[in-house]
Amino acid sequence: MQSLRVIGRSAAVAFADARAIYTWRTWTFGWLGRMLAQVVFFTYLGTKVGGAEQTVRLVLGNAVMTSVVESLSVVASTGWERMSGTLPLLVAAPTRPVWVFFGRSLQWPVSGTATSLVALFGLAPLFGVSWQAAQVPAVVALVGLAALGSYCFGLLLAALVLRAYGLRNVVSNAAYLLMMPLCGVLVPAEVLPGPARAVGALLPLTHVLTALRGVVAHSPPAAVLVPTGMAVLTTIGWFAAASFAFDVLVRGARRSGTLDLT
Amino acid sequence: MIAVSASGLTRTFQGGGQALERFTFEVPRGEVHGLLGPNGAGKTTLCRILSTVLLPTGGSASVLGRDVVRDAAHVRRSVGVVFGGDRGVYGRLTARQNLNFWAALHGLSGRALRERVAVLLERTGLTGRADERVDHFSRGMKQRLHLARGLVADPPVLILDEPTAGMDPIAAHEFRDLVAQLRDDGRTVLLTTHDTAEAEAVCDRVTLMRRGAVLATGSPSSVAGLVTSQDRISASGVPAAVVAELVARPEVVVLDGSGGDRVELETSGDTTGEVLHLLVDAGVTRLVRGRPSLEEAYLRLLRRQGMAVDR
Repeated sequence: MQSLRVIGRSAAVAFADARAIYTWRTWTFGWLGRMLAQVVFFTYLGTKVGGAEQTVRLVLGNAVMTSVVESLSVVASTGWERMSGTLPLLVAAPTRPVWVFFGRSLQWPVSGTATSLVALFGLAPLFGVSWQAAQVPAVVALVGLAALGSYCFGLLLAALVLRAYGLRNVVSNAAYLLMMPLCGVLVPAEVLPGPARAVGALLPLTHVLTALRGVVAHSPPAAVLVPTGMAVLTTIGWFAAASFAFDVLVRGARRSGTLDLT
Repeated sequence: MIAVSASGLTRTFQGGGQALERFTFEVPRGEVHGLLGPNGAGKTTLCRILSTVLLPTGGSASVLGRDVVRDAAHVRRSVGVVFGGDRGVYGRLTARQNLNFWAALHGLSGRALRERVAVLLERTGLTGRADERVDHFSRGMKQRLHLARGLVADPPVLILDEPTAGMDPIAAHEFRDLVAQLRDDGRTVLLTTHDTAEAEAVCDRVTLMRRGAVLATGSPSSVAGLVTSQDRISASGVPAAVVAELVARPEVVVLDGSGGDRVELETSGDTTGEVLHLLVDAGVTRLVRGRPSLEEAYLRLLRRQGMAVDR
């Protein structure tokens, strides 16, 4: 319960940041417009080199990818604690840092989910995907899961680069660029070499996209539920890894004296 | 009861820099204790260790009997930490939202949280600005918010690391009043500062630090007494003949006798009475008798240790 309260209050900080960064106009015509243009660009290229199946893969993959891109902003925004001088105060507080950091950047997966849903329901029909009302809850849940899973993965990366703050943007950009081929956004996983497939299987996005394609194709429930379960498990795994990494980071920083005080 | 103690506390950083070297001190409960020392003396390192943000490399330290390494979780619940400067607050949040956040981290919720935050805003004079974004605050107001944040868990021990750094004199004065109120609450306050006047004004005892070690500990007046046992007499409107007579007395140390009718002397024992009589008999009415200030003691002690200190 205490953890949930901390997450809630940390999320309030996150959304205050979001309000300072975006107005509804800049979010709609700046961020959302840019992301939709990216989805259209990659999908349109796909229509020129692949068939209908490839087009559907690309529009679904790139639409969901927008939530991943935004969720991985957690790598950079976690470092804001360092810039604002609050990191040592968080360590000195009687709360595990991971709860704070989990809530502290929640604006990204929420905004990312909204972006993806606009792309899926607004753009995907232009590329041959049709939606029925009964599919909507599953799509919303899967997109939210993709955002959350990527967010937890990003939290781990954030913990790893918190000491090397200059690497934050390189790491988040490299992460999502690698996820695009590894998770089946651009090409089917079957065409990837075994090690790449194995890495992709560790990422929630891979399983979410499999489940989403199943929803679109009206596949049997197992074809949707099994990959959804895998996405949930990998999300939990990344959160656990992030939690461990933050604890290690704090222990190491207390030893080395690398938590800035002022 | 001892609120804060350190025994042989040592902190060596990678590369060999030694911030604390067998530092030993004790702060009784309810005391406002000042840590004075030049940059690099180890004051902030000590605060970091006591607030569990940094681990010592030797010795031990405890807060209310709890070891800061082994019982860090307990220590965190009983210590409030306030650092000086603009950082350490969320500028995009209001003062109330900042306090709500930190209160939640310390386990407060619901009505208890709201009431605690309201009390702290009132106490620090921020109620009227509670719902404004903090990045619009002046430095003094941010520092009040820092103090409110440090008090959010109602800690019995408060660590203030240069809390008035960069404040204008009025804001610093108001902040000292707040510290005095904390003492009246019965809290133990550990205050680091460069400002000897501040330490003299608010501290029950001070520890002078140099290169990570204790140079002297005691009340501000007793620390001043460490550098000289003599009385200080300052007088103005002194007739030239009297000035000459004072300058000629071997048992009187003339600190400043070149200012015409103004003299500043150090005397001791019976001589003090004789000098005072001489001045009064000569019709001098503007005179002050006292001991050297803490600032002077601080500077002299550091100089004795071979450290160049510029005033």
